Formats: sequence, C-alpha cells, structure tokens
Amino acid sequence: MNSLIKEMQALAQELLASGEVKGVFGWTKGSRWYLTPPLFIQKAEDAIKLHYDEFAINNLTSLLLDYRNSDDKIAIFVKGCDSRGILRLIQDKQVNPEKVLVIGLPCPGMVDKEAVKDQRHVHDLPLLRKCQECRYPNPVLADRTLGDVQVTKEPGVPIGITAERAIQKGVGSKGKERYQEVKEIEALSADEKYAFWQKQHEKCLRCYACRNICPACNCRECIFESDKKGWVNKAATTTDNAFFGITRAMHVAGRCVDCGECERVCPAGIPIMKINRKIMQDIDELFGTYDAGTDLEEAGPLNHFKLDDPEEFL
Amino acid sequence: MKRIGVFVCHCGTNIANTVHCDQVAEVAKDFPGVVYSCDYKYMCAEPGQQLIQDAVREHNLDGYVVAACSPRMHEPTFRKCAERAGLNPYMIEQVNIREQCSWVHADKEKGTEKSIDLLRMAVAKARKNEPLSSSTIPVTKRALVIGAGIAGIQTAIDIADNGFQVTLLDREHSIGGRMAQVDKTFPTLDCSACILTPKMVEAAQHPNIEMVTYAEVTAVDGFVGNFDVTIRKKARYVDFDKCTGCGACQEKCPKKVSSEFEMGLGPRKAIYVPFPQAVPNKPVIDAEHCRYLLDGKCGVCKKICPTEAVDYEQKDEVIVERYGSIVVATGFDQFDISKYEEYGAGRYPDVITGLHLERLMNASGPTAGKIKRPSDGKVPEKIVFIKCVGSRDEAKGRPYCSKACCMYVAKHATLIKEKMPQSKSYIFYMDVRTGGKSYEEFYKRTQEQYDGQYIRGRVSKIFQVGDKLIVRGEDSLIGRPVEIEADLVVLAAGMEPRADAVALARTLGISYDQHGWYTEAHPKLQPIETHTAGIYLAGVCQGPKDIPESVAQASAAAVKATGLLSKGELTSEAMIAECNEAVCAGCGLCISVCPYKAIEKKKVSERVHGQMKERVVAVVNPGLCQGCGACTVNCPSSAMNINGFTNEQILAEVDALCQR
Amino acid sequence: MSTVEDKKQTAQDWEPNIVGFACNWCTYAGADLAGLSRMQYPPNVKLIRVPCSGRTNPQFVLRAFQKGADAVLVAGCHPGDCHYSTGNYFTRRRYLLMQRLLEYMGIDPRRFQARWISGSEAPKFRDVVTQMSEEVKALGPNKKLREEL
Repeated sequence: MNSLIKEMQALAQELLASGEVKGVFGWTKGSRWYLTPPLFIQKAEDAIKLHYDEFAINNLTSLLLDYRNSDDKIAIFVKGCDSRGILRLIQDKQVNPEKVLVIGLPCPGMVDKEAVKDQRHVHDLPLLRKCQECRYPNPVLADRTLGDVQVTKEPGVPIGITAERAIQKGVGSKGKERYQEVKEIEALSADEKYAFWQKQHEKCLRCYACRNICPACNCRECIFESDKKGWVNKAATTTDNAFFGITRAMHVAGRCVDCGECERVCPAGIPIMKINRKIMQDIDELFGTYDAGTDLEEAGPLNHFKLDDPEEFL
Repeated sequence: MKRIGVFVCHCGTNIANTVHCDQVAEVAKDFPGVVYSCDYKYMCAEPGQQLIQDAVREHNLDGYVVAACSPRMHEPTFRKCAERAGLNPYMIEQVNIREQCSWVHADKEKGTEKSIDLLRMAVAKARKNEPLSSSTIPVTKRALVIGAGIAGIQTAIDIADNGFQVTLLDREHSIGGRMAQVDKTFPTLDCSACILTPKMVEAAQHPNIEMVTYAEVTAVDGFVGNFDVTIRKKARYVDFDKCTGCGACQEKCPKKVSSEFEMGLGPRKAIYVPFPQAVPNKPVIDAEHCRYLLDGKCGVCKKICPTEAVDYEQKDEVIVERYGSIVVATGFDQFDISKYEEYGAGRYPDVITGLHLERLMNASGPTAGKIKRPSDGKVPEKIVFIKCVGSRDEAKGRPYCSKACCMYVAKHATLIKEKMPQSKSYIFYMDVRTGGKSYEEFYKRTQEQYDGQYIRGRVSKIFQVGDKLIVRGEDSLIGRPVEIEADLVVLAAGMEPRADAVALARTLGISYDQHGWYTEAHPKLQPIETHTAGIYLAGVCQGPKDIPESVAQASAAAVKATGLLSKGELTSEAMIAECNEAVCAGCGLCISVCPYKAIEKKKVSERVHGQMKERVVAVVNPGLCQGCGACTVNCPSSAMNINGFTNEQILAEVDALCQR
Repeated sequence: MSTVEDKKQTAQDWEPNIVGFACNWCTYAGADLAGLSRMQYPPNVKLIRVPCSGRTNPQFVLRAFQKGADAVLVAGCHPGDCHYSTGNYFTRRRYLLMQRLLEYMGIDPRRFQARWISGSEAPKFRDVVTQMSEEVKALGPNKKLREEL
C-alpha cells in the first residue's frame, strides 16, 4: 500500500507540475487513523498529502460536477465502483472525457469505520457493506492505472482482496445475492411494506446528502430545490419525503451505478439502496440484465425500448 | 391573478337532461379566479359564441372555460371564438361534460357532482394558461428521391412535372432498379424494358431532374422543409464529360466478372455498363476487380479509350445538398433461397428463383431469351414452380405475403408455354391470391389455355437423380403424395427489405417494422407519410407491392412532396415542447426519447464568477416537435415542458380533482 | 354522536375518487365513443387529457395520491398505435417499473393501474372504469402516501 501511495503522489506531482492537469481529486490522511477524507489539490507540492487505504471510502466522482463546464483538465483517482460514476457523468454529458484524467486504483475493499470501537488495526474491522457485495472491483474505465489493476467492463471478484480475506469477509458470495434484501421486503404484506417505508420516510431530514453524493443526480437544478415548480413543499412532511424518496429513485432508475454512497451518507440511516436495488432487479427481470455505468455506448433502459417488451398492462 | 369566465352549455337537452347546468354554473362562481359564470342552451351556436365574446369584453376576462361536449369536437370552435373576442386562442379550456358525463351517467345528482369536479379541474388549468403562438419556417423548394427504380423514377418525374427541382439518386450506376431486370410484366405481358426505358430516358432528360447515380446518402441533418443531406458519390474512374459511351473499353477489358444484373447467369467485364439500355449509358470501373486498380497491371481501357476518359485517380466525392422533402423508394431484396436447404437451393444449379428465370427469358439476357438450364444448357421440359418461398413462412421469419409472386408465377408458366409448347409447368401453391384488375382472368388463362398445372401443397424435398430434380411433395386436395421428375425448379422467392434498410432508416430518422419495412405514419389514412415530417415512402420499401401499386404510391408520394414544396413556409404547432435553458443541464436524456429528432443541442454562454463560460443545453426545433411530451418525463430536472400541457397545469388539474 | 350504524352508512355511501390520465388520441377518444354509444358506467374516474400516455410523469401519480386520490389510472394507445409512434413504449417501460415500485412501497396494485384503450374500445373503457371503481370501492379510501389533512 505504501508503494502505491508513493506512486499516486509521484503521478499527481508530475501531472500538476507539468500543467497537464489543473487539479487532482484524491484522498488524504484524516485526523484519526480510521479517517481518509477527500482532498482536492491544485499545487504540485501538495501531492505529498495524498493518501490511500481501506478508509478511502468516498466516491469522489460527483465532485467533478463543480468543474463540469470548466476548461481546466482535472485528474481523479477512482476505485472500481467509483469508475462507474465517471461513466455515468460522461454519458450524461456532465463531464467531458477530454477534460478529465481518470486514474484507476486497485481496491483492497473498504472497511466500515462506523464499526470502530476499541480496535486498533484495519484488519480487525469488517468490510463495508457495499464492498461485501462488490461486483466491479476493477475500474471500467481509466486513462492511467496504478498498482496491480486492470480495466475491464466485466464484473469480477475483487483482485485487491487476498483470497484469505475474501473468504473471511464473505466477499463474492454475497454479491450473488444482492437482491436478497429486496426479496425480503417483497415477501411482506402491503401494510407491512408501507409501515416499513413510512418509518423510513418519517426519518428523512430532506438534507439531500443522498442526492449530493450521487453521480447520477447531476441536474443543474434539482426539482426539489425549487418550490416554484410546485412539485413538492419545502417543509419535510412525511408525505413529501415519500414523494422525494420515490421520485429520486425513479430519476435514477436505469442510471444508478450501484455505488451505495447515498445509503452510506444518509444521516437518518434510510436503506436507500433497498429502493435502488429493487428497480435494478426489476430492470434485469423485465428488460434484460443491465449494469448502468459500465458501457458508454449502451443506452439506458428508459432511453430505449423493444417492441416485444413484457406486456402486463393489457 | 387571471380573470376567468365559465360557460356551461346545455347542448339542448343532451347535457341538461342529466346535469343541473344552472347549479354547475352557480357553484363555479366560487372557484378561485372565476369572475363570471353562466349557463346557456347552445354555446357553440352563434348566439352562444356571441354571449361568450360579450362576457369576455364586459368582464375583462383573461381566459375562459366552456363546459360542454368533448374538446375533440369543439375546441377549435371555442379557440376561434376567443380570437374574435380579442383573446389569445390558447387562453381557453373546454371541459367534457357530455361524452364523459351526461351521456354516461343517468343519475342527475352524480352527473352534476362530476361536472362540478371536472369544471374545477378545467378552471385550475385555465388559470395557468399562457398565450401561445405558432412560428413559421421557410421551405427549400427542392426534393430528393432516394432509389431510382420504377417508384423513384415515377416520383421524380411527377415532382419535376409539377415544376420543382428534384434529385433522383441511386446507388447503382444505372437507374431502373428491379423492373429493369424483369422480362415481361403481368397481366398484359408487355415487355418491361419497352415501358420502363422511355421513363428512364425521360427522367434523365427532364430539365427539372438532376440524376445522381452510383451515390449513397450517408447523413441527413435538418428537418422538414430543410434537410441537409450528405451524399457520397462513388468514384467511377471514368470521366463522364469525356466518355462517349462507345463501349470499346468494355470490349477489350480482359477481366471477366459474374454479372449482378444477370443474377450471376452471365459475365460482365471489370469496366462495364450493367445492361444495354442502362441510363446513364456510360461505363464505370469495378474497383474490386479491375486489374489496374488492384495491382497496377493492365491499363488496357485507358490505352484504348479514344477520348482519354479513363481516370484511375478518381476519388469518392462527398457533397452536402439541401432539400425541402425526401421520398424514399429503395425497393427490396429477393429472399435468400439458400435458407431452404430442403429445396437444395444454392446446391443444385437448376433450382433457381423467379428473377433468374426473368433473365433467362429476356432477349438481351445471357441466353438471348432461350430458356436453358444453368447446369448444362439443356432446354427444360418439365418445370416445377414452388410458391411462397420466403413468404408466409413463420419458421423462416417471413410471415407476410409477398403479394406479387402468385401473379409472376402465372406469368412465367404462360410465357414458358408460349416459348416451348412441348413443355409442362407444375405449380405448387398454398393459396392463389389474384386480387387486382384483370389478375384473376390471367390466372384462369394460365390454367386453361396454357396448361399450367396447379398443385395445392407444400414441397417437402428436392433431390437430384441423374440430371433430373426429383420434387417430392403432397397434393393436399387429394391427400396423396406427389413426385415430379423436373428439369428445372423455379422458387417464387419472396421480397424482403434491403439488407441495409434499417441503416438508412436510422440515417433518415424514420421508423421500420420488425422485418425492416419502413413504417407509414398511419396504416390506413397516412400510407405515404412517415412519422418524420417531410419524408415520404414510395414502392416496396414500405412493404411488398407489384408494379402498378408501386407506381400509384410513387405518384401519391410526389403529390405529398410537392404539396410541401409549394408552401412558402411551414407553420409549426403551438403546443410543443420548450426547454428552460437556465435549468437544462444538457444531459440529452430528452433527445433519446424524442420520436421526431426535434431536440438538438446548442451552446450557450453565460457569465460565471466574472468569466464567460460555455455550456450545452437542449433546444427544441418548433418545426419538428409535435408536442407528445416524452421528453418532459425523461427530464429529471423538469427543464422540458409542453406548452399547453405544462407540468404546472397538469399538477393544478390533479390538485383540483382531488380537492373535494 | 356517531354510532356504529352511522359509520356503516357512511362507508356504504363512500365513493372513490379516481384520477385518470388519458392520451388524447386513443383513450380519450375511446371515452368519448363510450358517451356517443350512451354506455353507462360509474362516475368515479375523472380524466385528465394529456397528449400522450408518455406525457404522464410518475410525479403526477404520486401527487394524486398525496392529494387524496383513491386510485390512479394511466391509459393510452396500444403499443404500436401511438399517435407519436413510440411514446407508449416508453410509458410501458417506465410504468412497469413504477407499478412494481409502488407495490414495493406498500401500495395495493389495484390502486395504480395502467391500461391500453384504443379509440374504438369504448366497451373496454367502460369495463375498465367500472371494474376499477368497484375494486377501489371495496378497498375503501386510500390513506397511504396521503398528506396529513
């Protein structure tokens, strides 16, 4: 890991010094051993601040939105799952591929910092939930790669994780059952389902953290930001929260890149991925298997149709 | 705050019988925004309209709602009435309390209640109405016809005769298309060339027709009235200005190639004119076979040419031309019979298609009109025809009827008997379909006077024994197997879309069905138009047809194209999509669902932190947008809206309906 | 003071309020034809005319439930018959997902329905509206997703 960090720093230093890029998105060592927050640097001498480890959890891609119409070229470090966010932004024309330099990193599988109590070592911590179900450990797109990482559009087993650790953490096996939790909710009665979600919607603060971190939520102006449009009231009533939750899910239907950041950042602990996964499952069943953010050329499932799509409306 | 008027119509007793119209008008007075409300016997009649106009002026109304019959019936009436009252016609709403209320609910109290709900909805919408207007776009008075078979030629001649410039484009060197390959035409048996070549010459010489052959459409931009079409003119390696068409090069060229025009039954040269009556009648060099172009050896044609017209250096030329309308007349391919392995098609040289037989019968064909078997040149005596090969066959992916085969098989059997009285034709069929003027009579003659023996049933197998083809099948009328020792088997191969039909459809932005036939805008009432305004269809590219039908559709397409060109400008719809550029992020999700290619991207500049920045936004072409609204739903930020059916209006309607 | 008897009475008198989105070219025309043919059906479904079923934003459906609709119907031309050629194919995809999502959220699928009704299918319009009215009446008033009054 240390040599990889050195490589990252050297590359960032070179890119900034040569003027090839005007800024670099990466991570830095935080104030505690289990924190590795995002970092944006614009000076070559700051490259030394870059850091990477099992706590570099944040998907940085939505940060590129601040530079969407910029003439400056920006470099960004991505893990496998993050790279799908880059594809999302390119497909949505929010990032000009000429103006971004994507650097792919091998991912060791991120660990759950929320689980930190009295542990002192990263290996004592469980893998982050989203990493237990990881299907894209390798970047699907990268201009450069560092360390032992391949660029591939195919889902696979995380290569950054040792076999031992993979078995220990159950990586891969869970990935196959990624709709398990969806099925559990589907098995409930209508009223139980409603009660479950009502409880979630009651918790929602409408802080929009889920939206802000999401690479698929890349509108210039969100419909929930402007009450002039009349879609929803500003106040966080439960019914408006439900409207927000369902509408957000429909807006990212077929576009969600499954990075799980929305759920991770939700301060109210709403299991947002249970909604996103539900839609993914239905898309797979109804229109054929589709992983958003893995193929630049492929149109999303709500942007095309087949004449012989399932007919259930009679 | 808008001042809204409400006018409740009795429609005689049609509404008043089951709705208390006076009550409805009374309740409406309390709706927000309503400053005047009344009921009247006939709102659509002259006194009713006068009443509305007077009320608009007297009460200074900004808009009004008429509660009456269906807006599909009288919306134009009440819009015009608004205009006469000095209002923008889009400031009004009509709400349906007849077809969808008084006529379907006998209970007068319930009918009244529903009328009030519906009226509340309409008033809520009307309060959000904004004045709308149509815009106009100029039209380029020039047409493009893609494909120069009989349909394309007829379209071009008709458009040209109507006084408009037209470009007739074909990817082959000569115009004429499939009909040029045909020997004689049913049901009159006049020679195909005799009726086609005069039209080819007429097209070539018409002052309003520009003929562009050996060229393909590679891109289409723009929209109705102004299509910018990119055309790639393939290199011919012969300078047509110098060439006199003397034919010396063709004679001396040492390279023999199997002729596509002759269906592989005869040879041509590497420098060639595809057939003697070709228009233009000047040769081109086939770069794939020319010895000089392949390895720099030979050069005979250049040496022999008396006018130095051969130019090996010629390159493809790409041009962009603007047209007001486009007619697509790209025709068909013949079904690939090798998919019928049981018939030995492709393996046995004497199992041929109808089009092969046309060439074998044609006086200027490879056998000079003498029917000889491809394998050994023997004159066949027993000839078997099999119909519906690649038609009406689900298993082969061709469930449709190719329509012309029944008649051309009858024609073949007749002509063969005429040429070779000692011969005998057997025709295996599923049904005989002879809809068309004088068609049934022709088929009867084939049976009665020309000894064509029709056998109802499918052939299961064909195999070779000696120099005979054994055709085994079943006569389903008598329920007994039949076996015929044939000398020649002719498969009535069906029609299928051109192999690249879908690619061209995508270039043009027109739709196509599951087989690849181009889709008309309406199967009954708009059989010529496509869904893309300004693009029309002629001939078989839309679906199987015979020659008279193709010609009829060609003339119809010419009328449609000319009708468009004869307008100086086009008026766009008023209720169409509009993009709020301040909100639009330029993601293009709207573009992917627009059926009319009506949304484009454009760059806008704006000042951000004191710097001018460019960004991309969507912009709606008012000439193309039909106002369906698919874009509005795919736009997550609601930057797209439909004028007249805005999000705000529909939300107001929803709220009003739910507020009881 | 209301008695148990009174409540029963109220429940029986209760009529569902159903918001219908109908495309102008097929379903709205089919509903007009039902009128021209003097077919009779319950007055519970009220149609909002939209150009195409593809114009119906799922957010309109949510709004209707929020504001108190007991059920929502989205209806348009049959696939292949769309006046705008492809609009209803997108409707089909979007509402297949929406229907499943609403069910997942605990909304009874009978409260949200999508139907293809052509301009000539007046009997079908009548039947769909009748059936939906009866089903929703049996279900009772919708309280889910509804804003607090």
